Amino acid sequence: MHQTEAFAAGEEAEELRPSVESDKKEERILARRLRLAARKEAQTKQRLGEDDLGKEDVKEETRKSQKEVEHRERRMAKLKSDGLELVTNIQVAADARESDRRTELEEGHRLRREKLENEAKSSQEKFEEINRKWTDAKMKQTPLDLRDALSSQQQLCEQIIADKNKLISELQQELKASDDRYVKDLKRQAKDIDLLVERMEEQISTLKKSYREDLHQIENSLDEERRTLLTKHKKKWEHERKDRNEKELKNMMQSLSVMEEYADLLQKLRVQTAEEYNIDKIRMDTEVQKLRMKVQQTKFNCHMNEEKLDYKYEVLKKKEEENAIIKSQLKRKIIRMQDVLNNLKSKLTKQEKQSKAGNQSLSNDYTRISQQYKDMQKKARHFAALDAERLEKLWLMCEDEAKALTHRALETDRVIHEQQLGLEWASPPLPFMERSGAVQQKTFRTATQAAADTLKGEPEGGLDEDTAAGLNKRTVKSILELLCDEMGFLVESKLLMLLSPLEKNEQSLIKLDAIFSAIGIESEKDVYKMAEFFMNYRQHESKYTKDETANGQGESAEELSNLIHTEDLLAALKDFTAQFCRQDVHASHKSSILGLDMRDDSEDAAYWESIANVMPESKLKLWDALDTALNKYHAVLTERTELLMETQNIQQQNSELRQLLHLYTTSKAQ
Amino acid sequence: MSFSSMSRSQSSQRSGVMNSASDGQKRRSIIAEDHEWSLALVPLLTTLCLQHIIKHFEEKPILHELQPSFKTYVLQRLPASLPLTITANLISDESYWKRCCEARWGLADISTYDNSWKQMFFERHLQSIIELFIPDTTDTKTVLDVLPLCQNYVKQLRVSQLLPPIKEPSRFDEDDGSESASDMGSDGPSMDHFDFRMLLDKLPNLKELSVVYCVKGCGMNFEWNLFEFTFRDCESLAKALNSCKTLQVFRIHRSKVDDEKCCVIVNHLLDHPSLQELDFSHNHISDRGARAIAKLLNRSQLKTLIVCNNQIRGAGAQALAHALAKNNTLTSLNLRLNRIADEGGQALAQALIKNKTLVNLHLGGNNMTEPAAVALSQALVENCALKSLNLCNNRLGADGGKVLEEGMTHNCTLVECDIRLTDVDQDSEYSICQALHANQIKTKHNHDPSAKV
Repeated sequence: MHQTEAFAAGEEAEELRPSVESDKKEERILARRLRLAARKEAQTKQRLGEDDLGKEDVKEETRKSQKEVEHRERRMAKLKSDGLELVTNIQVAADARESDRRTELEEGHRLRREKLENEAKSSQEKFEEINRKWTDAKMKQTPLDLRDALSSQQQLCEQIIADKNKLISELQQELKASDDRYVKDLKRQAKDIDLLVERMEEQISTLKKSYREDLHQIENSLDEERRTLLTKHKKKWEHERKDRNEKELKNMMQSLSVMEEYADLLQKLRVQTAEEYNIDKIRMDTEVQKLRMKVQQTKFNCHMNEEKLDYKYEVLKKKEEENAIIKSQLKRKIIRMQDVLNNLKSKLTKQEKQSKAGNQSLSNDYTRISQQYKDMQKKARHFAALDAERLEKLWLMCEDEAKALTHRALETDRVIHEQQLGLEWASPPLPFMERSGAVQQKTFRTATQAAADTLKGEPEGGLDEDTAAGLNKRTVKSILELLCDEMGFLVESKLLMLLSPLEKNEQSLIKLDAIFSAIGIESEKDVYKMAEFFMNYRQHESKYTKDETANGQGESAEELSNLIHTEDLLAALKDFTAQFCRQDVHASHKSSILGLDMRDDSEDAAYWESIANVMPESKLKLWDALDTALNKYHAVLTERTELLMETQNIQQQNSELRQLLHLYTTSKAQ
Repeated sequence: MSFSSMSRSQSSQRSGVMNSASDGQKRRSIIAEDHEWSLALVPLLTTLCLQHIIKHFEEKPILHELQPSFKTYVLQRLPASLPLTITANLISDESYWKRCCEARWGLADISTYDNSWKQMFFERHLQSIIELFIPDTTDTKTVLDVLPLCQNYVKQLRVSQLLPPIKEPSRFDEDDGSESASDMGSDGPSMDHFDFRMLLDKLPNLKELSVVYCVKGCGMNFEWNLFEFTFRDCESLAKALNSCKTLQVFRIHRSKVDDEKCCVIVNHLLDHPSLQELDFSHNHISDRGARAIAKLLNRSQLKTLIVCNNQIRGAGAQALAHALAKNNTLTSLNLRLNRIADEGGQALAQALIKNKTLVNLHLGGNNMTEPAAVALSQALVENCALKSLNLCNNRLGADGGKVLEEGMTHNCTLVECDIRLTDVDQDSEYSICQALHANQIKTKHNHDPSAKV
C-alpha cells in the first residue's frame, strides 16, 4: 500500500516536474537545476556502477524492510477491520433488538387483536342478552319484577363495563409498559451511543498507538538495515584500502630496485662514453689543425678575389652610370616620340574625320551625279531614239522628195528626149530607186555566236572566217575549249549548278558566254583577236623556250595549242585583257552609251550624191541649150498670146458696144 | 469625491505645519510639534485610499479595478458583515468567504462542500433560511431575494428541518401535546410546509437534495402534527423534483412517507435524466411503495437505492427482485431492517443470478431463514459481480451457514460478507472468512499491477 502510494507520488512528481519550455522564468530555472542534478546523479551512479554486488545486497536488505512494512500493513488492516467489527457490532445488536422488538410487536398486535375480537364478541353477546332482557322487562307488569329485571340489567351492564374497564386498564398497562420500554430503549440507545463513542475513541487511540508503534518498528528496522549496510560497506572499504596500501608498497619496492639497476647501467655508460670522447677529441684536434691551414689558404684566395671583384665592380658601376644616362636620353626621346605620335594620331583622326566627311560628300556627289548621269543617259537614249525616228522620217521624206525630183527630172528628160528631141530615151541605171529607208547597218556577229559556230565545228562556214592571222577553226575551238575548262572560276557557282543537267556543248557555250562577259569580249572579232593573241603569246613564249632549250624543232600549230599550259593561259589572258580589252571595253561602252546605232555618215553623202548625180553633165548642157531655144520659142508664143488677147478684147468691146447700141436703140424706141 | 476631501484635509494639516515652520525666520526645516511624529508612522496614501474603499465598500464596491496586491489587501480587510447583495457575485476570493463562514458558524468541515468556502456559505445560508421558514407567516420574498444571489453557488441542499405553519400561536405556545394532537391532525391543509416548487427550478447547479419533514429540538413542545408530511406537501415536493433536471441525489428521511406518497414522488421521478441515488430511509413504505420503486428502477439511471428501515414485505421484495433481474445500472441496494422474509430473499437471490451489475447488497434484519440462505448460496455460485453482502440479523441457522459456506467455495468475487448474529456455526463462519480472505488477496493482486501500470 505504502509502496504504491510512494510510486504514485513519484509519478505525480514526474508529471509536475517543471518543463524547460515553460512560460515562467522561475520554473525554467528550476527545470535546468533539476536536469543538472539528474546528470550529476547519473555520473555518480556510473562511477559506483562497479560494485554491483553491494547493490544486490542492498536490494535484499530493502526487501527485508519491505516485508516488514507489508507485515505491519497486514496487521494494521486486520486491526482496522477488527475495530470496525467491534464498533459495528453495536449497530448490529441494536438492529437485532429492533427486529426482535418488531416481531414482538407484531406478536403483541396479533394477541391484542385477538383479545379485542374476543372481547368484542363476548360483550356483543352480553349486549344482545341485555337487549333481550329489555323486551322481557317490557312484558313484566309488576314493579317488583321490573325492579329485579332492572337490577339484573344493571348488573349485566356493570359487568360489561367492568369487562371493558378491565380491558382498558390492561391496554393502558400495556401502553405504560411499552412507554417504559420506550424509555428503557431510549436509555439503552443512549448507553449504546455512549458505548459506541467510547469504542470509537478507544479504537482511535489503539490505532494511533499501533500506528506509532508500527512506524517506530519500521524505522527501527530501516535504521538497523542502514547500520548493517554501513558497517558492511565500511569493512569493505577498509579491506580495499588495505589492499591498495600493500599494492602501493610493493610497487614502490619494485620501482626502487629498478632504479638501482638503471643507476648501475648509467654509470657504465658514462665511463664508456668518456673514453670514446677522449679518442674523438684527439682526432678532432688534428683535423682542426689541417682545417686551419686550409682556412689560411682560402683567406688569401679570398683577398685576391675581393680585389678583382672590386675592380670589376667599379667598371660595372661606371657602365651603369652610362647606361643610366643613355636610358634617360632614350626616355626623353620616347616621350618626344610619344608626343609626336599623339599629335599624329590626333591629326590622323582629324584627317580621318575630314576624309570621312569628304568621302561622305563625295559619295553623296557620286550618287547624285550617277543619278544625274542615269537620267542623262535615259534622256540621251530617249533623244537618240527620237532623233533616229526623226532621221528616219526626214530621210524618207527627203528620199521621197529626191526620188520624186529624180522621177520628174527623168520624166522631163524623157519628155524632152522623146517630144522635143525626138530621140529614144534610155533610163540610166538607178540602184537606189529600189531602196527605201535609212542606210541598213551592217550587223556584227557577236562573240558568242562565233564561239557557238566554232564549237559546232562546222567546216563549211569556216572559209571566210579564216582571218589574216591564219587561224583555223580547230585551233580556235581548242582554245575556246581550253578557256572553258580552265577559266571555270570566272563562272558563277550558281550558274554551274544550273548548268549541270544540260548537254556538254550547251554547258560550255553558256560558260563561255559568262567568261566572255567577265573578260569583256563581245564581238566575234574580239574572239579571233584573242585567239591570235594567244597564238602570238605562245609563239613568243616558245621563242623563249627555244632560246633556252635550243631545240629548234618545228611544231605544228595544233601541237602548240595543245602545249598551252594552264598557267600560261591565265597569264596570257591577263596580258590580253590588259592590252586590248580595256580600250575595247571603253570604246564599246562609249558607243553603247551615245548611240544605239553606230552609223557612219560617209555612205550617206555618197548616197545623196548618187541621187543628185542622176543627170549626167552632158544632159545638163543639152538641157541648157534646150532651155535657151525654148525660151526664145516662149517669147514668140507670148507675143502671139498678147496679140490674141488684144483681138479678143477688141472683139469683146465690139460686142459690148453692140449691146449698148442695142440697148440705146431699144430704150430710144420706148 | 470623499477621497478628494480627505486628501485635502491631509494637505491642509501639512501646510499648517509648514506655515509654523516658515514663520520661524524662514527656516527650511520642519519643527515637529509632536515629538513622537515621524515619517515612518505616516500611513501611505495608497493604504489610506484602500482603507477608504474598505470603509465605503457598501456604497461603492471597487474591487476588480484594483491592482492584484491592493485587491488582496482589500479582501483581507473587508468585514464579513457586508450585505450579500454586494458581495455574492462580486467576490470570489475563498479567504473572504472562509472568514464569513467562521464568523457565522464557527468551525466547519469544508470537505463536504467540495472544498469551497463560498459554496458552503451559500448552501448553509439557504438551508438556514429554509429551515426557519414558517409558511403563511414568513414572507416568500425572503427566499426569493436570496435566490438570485446564491443560485450559481448552491450545489447541495441538506434541509434538516421544515417548520409547520403556526395556526394558533397562543395555543402552540401553551398547549400540552395530547389534546392538540387530535385537533391539529384534522385540519390538514393548513399544515403544509415550505413549498419547494419556488426554489428548485431556480437553482441551475443543484445536484443533491436532502429533506426531513420534522422539527428539530422541539423539546417539551412535542406534538404529533409537528412531524406531519401532508399529501399536498408531497405533491409539491414531487413536482419540484420533476422540475429540477440536474438533481443527482435525493434523500428523504424520517418523514413518514407511506405508500401513497411514495407512489406520488416516484411517479414524478420516472425518466428523470440525471438522478443517481434515491434514499427513502426510515419511512413507512410497504409493498405498494416498493412496487412503485421497482417500476422506477428500470426507468431511470439509478445507481444507489436505499430503503432501509421501512416495512417492505415479501411481495415488495419480489417486485424489486423482478426489476433487479432486468436492471443494469443499479450497483448498490440497501434493504436493511425490512420484513422481506424468506420469499423476498429467495426472489432477490434468483434476481442476483441474472443481474450483473449489483455490487453491494444489504439484507440485514430481514427475518430470513434457511431457505433464503440456500437460494443465496446458489446465487453466489453463479453471480460474479457482487462484492459485498450483508446478511446479519437473519436467523439462517447452522444448516444455512453450511449451505452458504458451500456457496462461498465456488465464488471468487465476494470480498465482504457479514453474517453476524445469524446463528451460523463457528466452523462455517471461519471457513467463509477464509474464502473471503482468499478473494480479497486475489482482487488485490488483480488491482495492484494495474495500479503500478
